[in-house]
Amino acid sequence: MSLPGSARRREIRLAYLLLSPALLLLLTVLAYPIGWELWTSLTDLSPLSDGPQAFVGFENYRRFLGDAEFWRAAAVTVVYAAVTSVAKLALGLGFALLLARPFRGRALVFLAIFLPWAYPAGVSVIGWYWTLNPPTRTAYAPFMGHLKYVVDGAFGGGAWAFVSVILFNIWRGSSFIGVLLLAGINAIPPELFECALLESKSAWRRFHLVTVPLLKPFLALGVFLSLTSAFADLANVWLLTAGRIVFPVIGTHAYWLVIKAGQYGPASALSLTLVPFLLVVLLVLFRLFDPWEENPA
Amino acid sequence: MNPKPWWAKLGHGSLMLLATVYCVFPIYFMLVQSLKTPEEDVFGNPFIVMNPTLENFEELFERKSEVRGFVGDALRRSYPFLDWLANTLFIFVGSVAATLVIGVAAAYALGRLRPPGFRWWRRAIFAAYVIPQTLLFIPLYQVVITLGLDDSLLALLLIYPTMALPFCVWMLSAYFQHLPREIEEAALIEGASRATAFFRIILPMSRPVLVAAGIFTLGTVASDFMIASVFLLTPNNQTITAGLGTFDVALDELAAVAGVNLLAIPVVTISAVFARGYVRGLTAAMVEGA
Repeated sequence: MSLPGSARRREIRLAYLLLSPALLLLLTVLAYPIGWELWTSLTDLSPLSDGPQAFVGFENYRRFLGDAEFWRAAAVTVVYAAVTSVAKLALGLGFALLLARPFRGRALVFLAIFLPWAYPAGVSVIGWYWTLNPPTRTAYAPFMGHLKYVVDGAFGGGAWAFVSVILFNIWRGSSFIGVLLLAGINAIPPELFECALLESKSAWRRFHLVTVPLLKPFLALGVFLSLTSAFADLANVWLLTAGRIVFPVIGTHAYWLVIKAGQYGPASALSLTLVPFLLVVLLVLFRLFDPWEENPA
Repeated sequence: MNPKPWWAKLGHGSLMLLATVYCVFPIYFMLVQSLKTPEEDVFGNPFIVMNPTLENFEELFERKSEVRGFVGDALRRSYPFLDWLANTLFIFVGSVAATLVIGVAAAYALGRLRPPGFRWWRRAIFAAYVIPQTLLFIPLYQVVITLGLDDSLLALLLIYPTMALPFCVWMLSAYFQHLPREIEEAALIEGASRATAFFRIILPMSRPVLVAAGIFTLGTVASDFMIASVFLLTPNNQTITAGLGTFDVALDELAAVAGVNLLAIPVVTISAVFARGYVRGLTAAMVEGA
């Protein structure tokens, strides 16, 4: 840096000034609430009890370890996150590869693939619910009802609702990841593909040795965003099952503890159990999309 | 290249078709339902609409509809749909604008001015995504009440930007960071101020990345259901999302699906117009970026 010290100091001051609105916003909306949740998770706070809030240490966390319901919710969450992430990545990669090369009608197919993500999910989830669970008077209600009984019959009650949650998540997420990976493929210089074409005849080898390594940052980002959305999911599960939750995930289980029993302490502890996992995932993935070491520009 | 054999073309074509149908079918289905008359809803073919009607859309806008049937008001609640529409537009436009302004300022600071430890600042901001939103609304309610914003659209304007900000700051600052220093320095040597150099040179160059950040924000904001339903209570203050959540499922199915589509039309149109820019911006941020 060739700037004299005082100019650099001014620059740094300006930097903090410009940074402050973002930090202030994040502190108000995220830092305080997460602090509250941390503190509450160590207490027995409940709007239903009269006594003062008591500090209980790690009692709330310890209770989970012996609670079968917690392990069930955890298992469902892991399955939900794993299944949706794998499917989204596979479909998204397929979409991106399909769109990678020019062909007639490519713009239209691209728009079609972009659509599920662009369609506002806050309401498309409502549309999905009514499509999958139509009022009995509609023409296709018997068919959907039949489908529901077949799935529920094979896997137990509530299975169909859970499947619909997974389908919705995959439908919307594969669109996002497909577009993200397309952006990644566009970033690969075409000469590299031409070189690869000369080097190897096998399309699989070219894909595996050229495309995947160059897509790594995009894949990592996609995986991370997919995992966070699945792990913390509450609204989609709640809406698509209309609150009749047979397969609880961590998010819905915590929400249930709050609205049913007013157990703020255990519920906070429950939702916080996700943080360390996501943090580890993020630290691993940062190395791929935001490398530690970099040549100073 | 030698021409592809017919079976490769066929395979490619059918994959395209499959992908398109998979992506568009649920939306098509919702669209068809929203255009149906109640009679056709009951007796018609679910996949097509023979006599398309806009009556479901019209119904949304009739604030005080007459009471039909014998059950009375319960069957025909009226909805302030125009208010919902106005609120939704206000919130979407406001959130995207706020996120972009705040995000660009922070990204410029991190990517161009580079205070000590700027990479860690950026990672810390991005790490906001590890916080699960699940129960955050309980303490958030305290914040919102302290600020006097309960049952106000401004509460959403406070919360929504934080859902997209971490990604936008990360993307924009990675892009700014990798623009060559000379771009700005030439202008500074010519005597331009930092602000002029930013607004005249850096900002116009970053258009695709700004578009990407904006579309990402719009998609994120439009995907929220939870926050809108928790913080907006009186019907006149609700957004379409929050309002539709209160519809009576069994009774108003067609009108609700019409409402879903009505919100989707502007959002999808904007996203479609900028779709190419979105991809270009993501590419630019990631490659010229980190």
